[in-house]
Amino acid sequence: MKINFINAQNTAIILFFIGVYGLCARRNIIKTIISLGIMGGGVILFFLSINRTAESMPPIFNGDVVVAADPLTQALVITAIVVGISVTAVALIMFIAMYHKYGTTNWLKAMKHRLEREDE
Amino acid sequence: MILYAFILIPIITGALIYLIPKKQVLWFAFALQIGLMALSIYNFVLIRLNGPYEIVLGNFEKIAGITLRCDTLSGALIMLTAFIFLICFLFGLFDKFMNNLFIFFFLTLQALVMTIFLSRDLFNIYVVTEVSTILVAVLIMFKKDSRSMYDGMLYLITNIAAMTFFLFGLGFMYKIFGSLDMDIISSKMYDIQDVKTLAVPFAFLMTGVGLKCAFLPLFSWLPKAHATPSAPSIVSVILSGLYVKCGIYLFIRVREMFLPALNMDSIFLIIGILTGIVGLMLAMSQKDIKMILAYHTISQLGIILIGITAGSDYAYYGGVLHIFNHAVFKSLLFLSAGIIISIYGTRDISKIRGVFRRMPYVSVMTFAAMLGITGAPLFNGSISKYFIQSGVKGGIVEYAFILINLGTIISFIKFSQMFFGKGVKEKIHVDFGKKAALTVMGIMCLLMGMGGTLVISGIFNYNVSIDVIEYIKKTVIYFISLGAGFLVYTKYLKKTKFMKEGMEFELSINGIAISMTAFFISIAAAAYIIL
Repeated sequence: MKINFINAQNTAIILFFIGVYGLCARRNIIKTIISLGIMGGGVILFFLSINRTAESMPPIFNGDVVVAADPLTQALVITAIVVGISVTAVALIMFIAMYHKYGTTNWLKAMKHRLEREDE
Repeated sequence: MILYAFILIPIITGALIYLIPKKQVLWFAFALQIGLMALSIYNFVLIRLNGPYEIVLGNFEKIAGITLRCDTLSGALIMLTAFIFLICFLFGLFDKFMNNLFIFFFLTLQALVMTIFLSRDLFNIYVVTEVSTILVAVLIMFKKDSRSMYDGMLYLITNIAAMTFFLFGLGFMYKIFGSLDMDIISSKMYDIQDVKTLAVPFAFLMTGVGLKCAFLPLFSWLPKAHATPSAPSIVSVILSGLYVKCGIYLFIRVREMFLPALNMDSIFLIIGILTGIVGLMLAMSQKDIKMILAYHTISQLGIILIGITAGSDYAYYGGVLHIFNHAVFKSLLFLSAGIIISIYGTRDISKIRGVFRRMPYVSVMTFAAMLGITGAPLFNGSISKYFIQSGVKGGIVEYAFILINLGTIISFIKFSQMFFGKGVKEKIHVDFGKKAALTVMGIMCLLMGMGGTLVISGIFNYNVSIDVIEYIKKTVIYFISLGAGFLVYTKYLKKTKFMKEGMEFELSINGIAISMTAFFISIAAAAYIIL
């Protein structure tokens, strides 16, 4: 028996943890936001792979009984994409405002700036 | 229909208020808060008389639709939400920063918090939590001060990362159970074939929830967000008194959902004790008023966690009651801290002296809250702590609990130093709204202490009684701790570097992400072993 390890679910999990690695290891604020996007991408791929086989059709059909993909996950995924986009937009806007204050894209430098200005 | 009202009315009124730029809108919003408070009490009475009820949005079947369900816990928390927001509006009634935009954000946040308490659909909870995270981040950086920028940004990124973990876990749940409704999942939990598959989704969900309620390795964002200097004090009140309780509420629900198959209470009990102790150590060493209070929030959350997971009914109801008590006294402390900071112009506790002379009324109310948080007899903290302590009677947990309480007392002896001493003599006029808000909260501290058993039997229909001898014993322990704390503080700790300089404990975003991953892996491993 041959098990195919390169399937959507495993790819999704790997993609998610690549995003987590980005959060753990990168100090650039933009790269942190990109990492969040990668994590979100992994989750979306995972949702689409739920209850899906190679034969399943899009859940829009009339008459004939076919194997349809799960419509609920697709509804969830659309919402998740919208939430992800808006979150990224908010994070980037906050980053722009923060960049105007601190003049840096580095988390550690931003942290130092914050502590210095505490005494003012 | 009432459940829709809780969610829709604040958002719609908030939007209308934003469109009508008039000065009087604040009073309108205040009247709305009174109405919501009355409605929530009515709703709660209905639930107690007729039992819990639910609505499925859009008339779908329950398995596919979004369910709003109101049981006694949700009803009580809705009442708490309405109450805390009412107090906040009362407090800020004459403040300048309460403009239309702020009221809009505030009312929307209220609606979202109520939705979290009502919804039983995991995906709906995810969306609502995400939106409320954005709102809270905006409220933290509302004044665009240079320090709050970093705090808000860190809050936003960490919480969104946590909610992405939650979303992944939710996907696993859907894959296994074919539904996202908590009740349906819980009822299907018995027939699951391969229980080991539950370990990973549980760890994913718990990582998200655990960061929201600031468990041990994941709390680094909380003090920054809750104590950011430039945010108005009512924002700190909402965050520390109420919003963090959403995390605890989700913890209770997720734990209940998994309980038929997976019981990890012993591990969370240890996490609770450690959270209590570590939060306390950090709180003792701070010198910023708001920071002290924020770190105490972490330690009290540890106490609530001990109560919930200790495994006895007494401790469980004590823990849930402590959610309410903590909301009352921590809100009061943050409100009075806000007044003191705005008058003295500094947050350094060693520079503020003689508050009692200048503001006797505010000081008296703050003392009520301090007695509450340390668990003094007759005040609200004592009742919930009594129940938790009776639940964990005997064994090492009880001693850890007494130790945490002793530390809390020492920390608040340090906190109370600012009320005494010589200072400027002139009295300060505090406006009517602020005084009224403080008075209501102070009286609540005392009332919930006097009638703690009534509150439990009223909310949960669970009859508890206080053993007088035990209670007196605990009172004696309290006074011994108070004396010991006073001695230890004045003799040893007062002059040490630890108390004066403060301990810096700050994780960068990388540190938080690494601790999140470590938490996830250890919970997953532990769940895999237990299952």
